[in-house]
Amino acid sequence: MEFGWTAEEQAHRERVRATLERLLPADWESLSVHGPGSDLQTDYSRHFCAALQDEGLLVPHWPAEHGGENAPVWQQFILGEEMWAAGEPRGPQYMNVSWIGPVLMRYGTADQQARYLPPIRQGQAIWCQGFSEPSAGSDLAALRTRAVPVEGGYRVSGAKVWTSYAGHADHCFLLARVPLDEGGASGKAGIVILLADMAADGIQVKQIPALIGEGDIHEVFFDNVFVASENRLGAEGQAWEIITYALQHERVGVARYEFSRRVLDRAVAKLQADGRWQDAVIRARAGQALMLCEAARLLVYQIVDGKARGLPPSALTSVARWAVVLADNGVSEFLTEFLPEGLLGADPVQQAHHQRAIAAGIASGAAEIQLNLTARRWLELPGEGGRA
Amino acid sequence: MNFALSDEQQAILDGLEGLLQQPVEGATDPLSPPYSEALEQRLADAGYLSIAREDGFGTLDAGLIVERIARAPQVVEAAATALIAPALGLPAELRPLALVSDSWQKPARFLPQAQVLLVDQGDRALALAVDPERVVPGDTLFAYPYGRLQGSAQPTVLAEIDPQVLRRRWRMALAVEAAGCMAAALALVLEHVRTRQAFGRPLGAFQAIQHRLAMAAEPVESCKWLALRACWSDNELDASLAATFAQSRSNALTYDLHQFSGAMGLTLEYPLHRWTYRLRALVGELGGASQQARAAAEAAWPETCA
Repeated sequence: MEFGWTAEEQAHRERVRATLERLLPADWESLSVHGPGSDLQTDYSRHFCAALQDEGLLVPHWPAEHGGENAPVWQQFILGEEMWAAGEPRGPQYMNVSWIGPVLMRYGTADQQARYLPPIRQGQAIWCQGFSEPSAGSDLAALRTRAVPVEGGYRVSGAKVWTSYAGHADHCFLLARVPLDEGGASGKAGIVILLADMAADGIQVKQIPALIGEGDIHEVFFDNVFVASENRLGAEGQAWEIITYALQHERVGVARYEFSRRVLDRAVAKLQADGRWQDAVIRARAGQALMLCEAARLLVYQIVDGKARGLPPSALTSVARWAVVLADNGVSEFLTEFLPEGLLGADPVQQAHHQRAIAAGIASGAAEIQLNLTARRWLELPGEGGRA
Repeated sequence: MNFALSDEQQAILDGLEGLLQQPVEGATDPLSPPYSEALEQRLADAGYLSIAREDGFGTLDAGLIVERIARAPQVVEAAATALIAPALGLPAELRPLALVSDSWQKPARFLPQAQVLLVDQGDRALALAVDPERVVPGDTLFAYPYGRLQGSAQPTVLAEIDPQVLRRRWRMALAVEAAGCMAAALALVLEHVRTRQAFGRPLGAFQAIQHRLAMAAEPVESCKWLALRACWSDNELDASLAATFAQSRSNALTYDLHQFSGAMGLTLEYPLHRWTYRLRALVGELGGASQQARAAAEAAWPETCA
């Protein structure tokens, strides 16, 4: 059992930090606070990710046959920690390299891989994920967007909501249902995954003004949009398996606690500079917030360690996600109580943290779903019907 | 980072598991005093309590052992012997150890069994010889034996010890012991809610209960990993964070675990109290959670800007 970093891992972290220092513009802080889905940050991500690829740091974890270097799991995770802590200059593209690319490698056809992977590894592709709908959020299998089979493909109609990055996306990783009366199966088996071109006729995107920042969430309307069969990912009936695989990648992909930790460090420096660190209550509360960050870190590390050692996915992932929600909110509560001016224009980074924190238990599925999964799979409690 | 047990650690824990599964005198009597001298002796004879003193082993190995021992229904003093004494240069045969803050006259956990009382007086710390004739056992709900020294004469000083090392190791030991108690208490209640039926189904099938137990799983896991990291690093920050966690997150956990056990959890026959009333005792040591949180903050962010 080892809690330390190897010299190689430490050197990798320093390399990532030095690269960030070199690549990020002087006004990065003011740019980053608009959020990864903003116009400015999305535009910037195309420059940044291309430069990151030149440094060999965009997709080193990918297999060599897809342009990566088979880099170890921990190296990629360290890179993710540093990126998230820096305000995620990869913008929407973190999603591409973390899970859309790996999912395409595993389930995509040779043609799909040839078409979609090169722009991702060149840092030029913006994707959105068409998962949630007005009547299907965490209960994803209830989705109703229709994909009616037609000659050569599908005609898609329906609405997606809360879709991040849709305003700038080139492609949508779209979940839709082949209707029962059109030959589809019921439940999860009736879902198909379509790699939709966002420039196609019939797609309309509407931004939703939100507490969590500019450009982060949208409604996307599909009106009889044609998607060719060759843009279906996997077979009909295989979608749920692919989604499960994708979510496993997504759920441990974001080192939220690292951003919380760095924002807490900044806050303490300010409190010290203002002479408020003499207040024992403030010190105690800062220690408690730090405790939550470090607990979340260690639980997330358990998951990464399992992946690095080739173990099957563990239900501890759900426990870790809950810890991350507690950490994000614990830090946010500390900041709001002791540095409220940060939300009054004095500290845009604090505001950006707040905006991420309030979504921590909602994005990628409600945290209560994680509690359900923890109860059933980690604690092995019986199902609600009483079945063991 | 690699959280797999080494082959040696696995072998040690397997051996310990076997030892803890052996019948222990008094263990089946729910109303007997919880301290098991027989188990303590077995653990000591097998070398588990002195592992941190062995070549090739260290504090992390001792932490793994103490966490497992804390999950046992019998109470033994393992944490201070295995994790605190080696750092203070106290000989291995001087055990068990009792701990107290401020004054040697205050009630101390394990004093009725202890040979040594470690006293944290803030700017100094002492290892005092315990004269059994002077120990007055305490009457307490806490699931540890307590006692205090009577008389006004200070006991014989065996050694002046480093107060900072004492507090760091005490925090570490407290967190590791709490992690074991949390895990055992949760496991007991999980078994109960899987089998106890109400309204036609197991208690554990109700989402209201599932969610609170799922929330309880987080502190159990977090406390263990924070405590083990503190053992691995042996630094002020990690020890303080682990102790902060153990002390600040135990109350809600013990509340829920008693709640889901109903009135049965209020009886001495049901063993839940053996862990929850250790946790409740640990919550009040070293000045409590706020004190550890301040220590963590001061270690993480030494003041440089004021």
